[in-house]
Amino acid sequence: MKFLTQLAQLPPEYNPFWAKEPGNDALLWIFLTIGVGIVGMLLLTRVPTRARRPIVWTFTFLSGAFYVIYYLWPMPIDRDAREIPQGFVEQGGFFMKDALPRVADIANVLTFLLLCLGIFSLTKIHSARVVKKQKDWFFSVVLLVAMVVMVIVGYWDYILKEFNDPNALLTKAENWGTVNYAYDLLFDGLIQQMDAAMFSMIAFFILSAAFRAFRIRSVEATVMMASAILLMISLMGAVDYQWSELIKGWTGDDPAHMLNNLNLSQISGWVKNYLQIPSIRALEFGVGLGALAMGLRIWLGLERGGVSV
Amino acid sequence: MQYLDTGKYHVLFTLLLVFFILFNIRRAKGKKDMFVRRIPGLNAIDDAIGRATEMGRPVLMVPGIGELNAISVQALNIFAQVTKTAAQFGTPIRLCCANAAVFAVAQETIRDVYQAQGQIERYDVDSVRFISERQFAFAAGVSGMIHREQCAATFFLGEFFAESLIFAETANAVGAIQIAGSTQTVQTPFFIAACDYVLIGDEFYAASAFLTREPVLVGSLIGQDWAKFVVVFMIFCGFITNSMERHQVTDMKRVDNDATADVEAFSEMVPVEPWANGKPVLKRRADTWLFRQFNPFITKEQVTVDRPLEPEPEPTTATGGGS
Repeated sequence: MKFLTQLAQLPPEYNPFWAKEPGNDALLWIFLTIGVGIVGMLLLTRVPTRARRPIVWTFTFLSGAFYVIYYLWPMPIDRDAREIPQGFVEQGGFFMKDALPRVADIANVLTFLLLCLGIFSLTKIHSARVVKKQKDWFFSVVLLVAMVVMVIVGYWDYILKEFNDPNALLTKAENWGTVNYAYDLLFDGLIQQMDAAMFSMIAFFILSAAFRAFRIRSVEATVMMASAILLMISLMGAVDYQWSELIKGWTGDDPAHMLNNLNLSQISGWVKNYLQIPSIRALEFGVGLGALAMGLRIWLGLERGGVSV
Repeated sequence: MQYLDTGKYHVLFTLLLVFFILFNIRRAKGKKDMFVRRIPGLNAIDDAIGRATEMGRPVLMVPGIGELNAISVQALNIFAQVTKTAAQFGTPIRLCCANAAVFAVAQETIRDVYQAQGQIERYDVDSVRFISERQFAFAAGVSGMIHREQCAATFFLGEFFAESLIFAETANAVGAIQIAGSTQTVQTPFFIAACDYVLIGDEFYAASAFLTREPVLVGSLIGQDWAKFVVVFMIFCGFITNSMERHQVTDMKRVDNDATADVEAFSEMVPVEPWANGKPVLKRRADTWLFRQFNPFITKEQVTVDRPLEPEPEPTTATGGGS
């Protein structure tokens, strides 16, 4: 407890437990951490199969416990880095607040390692396709070349902008070199445009899906089609205006008349506010409860489904 | 130093739900053959795999484009059951991932399923693939695979966004039987429009309980149902209290100031003319008893706490210099 108190009393930027100051033995700590990580991973590969589950559960439980405690414990917000915590509750809050970015860092490192695994799988599959000259192998060549070129150009551009540009000259296009132009061409000129092209295809897919869904085959499809037509018509200004004029004629422009409820905007508003939104909220309650139950089962190691067949 | 007290009921309510789930898991442990209602989308899994087997085409599974979380783990749980049946019939499978962490877990899960079924020789390492972390690159990759391999059955379960319709319509174009489900309520209508069977809302989470009939999972499902009853009861209470209170005339109204970069949100009561312009000033939502329970009154004094500061550190080096 004394250790926790001492650590919590240090402001985050001077807290040696979570952040080493530059210029001292930081490099030694970096290599030490990498070394411990590699040894840890090697040891994990040697672990017998039956021990795998308890180890995974232990890590899962500890990670989950951190966030559960973080959620329940009173946390400082908008805290001055040099403030000294008063009492055990605040000490715990300060300590966990400082620890949160480091826990997120661990998750980031893990994500990086897993991304390497994903890239390895992608490279393996497509290299094999090229070597064996399988059907459409040329597309695999395009993928591999694009991946390598994008990684090289992307990192080169990043290094130039982050480390070799103290006066931020590269923020303006007139100071760009070949690499910066290449990155711009590949990212903004190609990837973004191709993303946009894929996204725009959704418009056509919506049309074909709507055509099939709105065919009157059942009572449900009829109700769906009727409400969709009603909502679409209510958004057409000219139709909505003509209809409301007609209603005005019936009601004699009396705002308290019951027939005002037949205005298209009133009906569509009622459908959205009293049918659609409550249904969506009910679904979201169910999804939220399901996620809570699932999270609990994973955290407490109660899940015995497919992931742990 | 400032604290923002957002009320105790949130925590209490969460703990109550946790208690319901854990209590029912414990209660269900000794029981067998508990009832779970029929879910058509899950009943169709065997038909879909049977069709793929007859046609000699692969079964495609996509666990969404989300990160490794409860949703993707649940999707993989369902895919493990699908793979179990596919392994028995020797039907080829394809599982496409957009997230590297999901890919790693999926690879292990699918390999374990084949091993548990005694069919490890049928396991193809490349059947589980990482495509891309970019949303539309992933959409393009999966759509291409559906076209090239003419998948006979497709399972889209997990977190989907704009790409959901691209998948569903592409699979429809090749005549695949489609079973889909998303926790994103905005995407569910797209799946309903384009797919043969859809798991709606929490049916997605009930799937593994339905497929395995594991007492722990069914117990958890019953716990969720209890929690739903509490939610319904609270909605009813809110309906009653709001209906009563919002017809009362008030002479004070609550004002919640917005939080800014410097000042935390705080609340205050300001007087109002109860019969302004000759009309009654009725209580608003923020003035009701139930609202106050979940949004406690926060004063300026409550959110501002003064405490001693550490002394400024001495500058270690003097670098550079002025002109």
